[in-house]
Amino acid sequence: MIIRSDPLARAQRKLQYGNHTATEMIPQAVTTTIAEVPDNTPAAEQLAEWLGSVATDRDRRCFEHLFGHFAPRLKSYMMRLGADAVTAEDLAQETMIKVWHKASLYDRSKAGASVWIFRIARNLRIDKLRRQRFHEVELDTEEIARQGHYQESNLHADRLDADRLPELVQELPIEQLEVVSLAFFEGLTHSEICQKLELPLGTVKSRLRLAFAKLRNAMGENR
Amino acid sequence: MNINHHPDDSTLLSYAAGALPESFSLVLAAHLEQCERCRQRLLEAEDVGAALLDGMAAMPVASKSIDKVWAAIESGEPAPAPEPRQPVAGLPSVLGRYLPEGLDRVRWRSVAPGIRQFILKDVESGHGSARLLSIDPGTTIPHHTHGGSELTLILKGSFADEIGRFSAGDLADLDDSVHHQPVADTDEPCICLIATDERLRFTGVFSRLLQPLVGI
Repeated sequence: MIIRSDPLARAQRKLQYGNHTATEMIPQAVTTTIAEVPDNTPAAEQLAEWLGSVATDRDRRCFEHLFGHFAPRLKSYMMRLGADAVTAEDLAQETMIKVWHKASLYDRSKAGASVWIFRIARNLRIDKLRRQRFHEVELDTEEIARQGHYQESNLHADRLDADRLPELVQELPIEQLEVVSLAFFEGLTHSEICQKLELPLGTVKSRLRLAFAKLRNAMGENR
Repeated sequence: MNINHHPDDSTLLSYAAGALPESFSLVLAAHLEQCERCRQRLLEAEDVGAALLDGMAAMPVASKSIDKVWAAIESGEPAPAPEPRQPVAGLPSVLGRYLPEGLDRVRWRSVAPGIRQFILKDVESGHGSARLLSIDPGTTIPHHTHGGSELTLILKGSFADEIGRFSAGDLADLDDSVHHQPVADTDEPCICLIATDERLRFTGVFSRLLQPLVGI
């Protein structure tokens, strides 16, 4: 097993993960963002409320708020997964178009706005960038409800303290952050991660497992 | 349904990330349809994805970007409806398109005494495959190890191996550290759906002779 404790590599990976350098290097004058969006990052509650209004009232202003928050992050996400800037922006737009069209299916009590939009982005990314099908389990279908599998205990509020998650992710040990990033941001399978890091499969799986356990525990404590 | 064996958390996390081979996502989706515990766990894994998305540095988008989105929305092109799944009795709905006639009318091919298989076409699986195996009662799959990962979902019947007993709905999530020798242990054939990302390696001298026959 290779021990990766080189501080330089560690720092580089931190930077890669955050992608901060890319944005900081763009001069202020060149950046063109949506004007009306509030500066501060909206809370999960706020995002869910906007998406809820799009769902029930087709509220265009709320949609633009959502766009202001998510489009730049979706673009970032798509670029991390290998799209060039133009394609990434197209995919961010396409994701938001799907958000508008599918909004009526959104149920605030079952999922936060971010997780709902993440699913749409993930599936679109696989479709467009990997040209492969992804078999999705339909979590909200009537069928599952009829089968009685769905229980009210699944309410989003009872789940993880999602607001604190980004912070918790950054606190992961670097070797765990690395495998999580490779899965979420490079879309690499377990075998591909093994090849890339020259690690045995068991090690890759246990790092992913530990990272997930750590996040679940930390979030559980904060309920 | 009483499910005792579940996917590894690392597999669920990669499913949430959209980073499993297609064949693996198929097997996992079929398990998730039946398993409340894993659906709950998946929601948590997707929360991790959402947090990562929220935590991403914002890449500025062009100011005309939103106009393009409104134009596309107003052009009235409705989102294509997802292909409806044909429910097939006794099967998770995600498998319906591959097995439209259910488990009773599968075009099996015999690969060894007591062992039949059917390969699912059009499932992308790299060096591996997605296939059904039907194992007659009492039949043992020779001792083997896995080049990569293997997901096995029991659709009907049951088998037992060194790890435990697996029945309908159970999922065995195995990697190259596992050597096992499953045996179908009830009076009906055990039918399972298997996704591999590498070829299986049979370890015994005689079993190795089976390799070209089974070709897993």
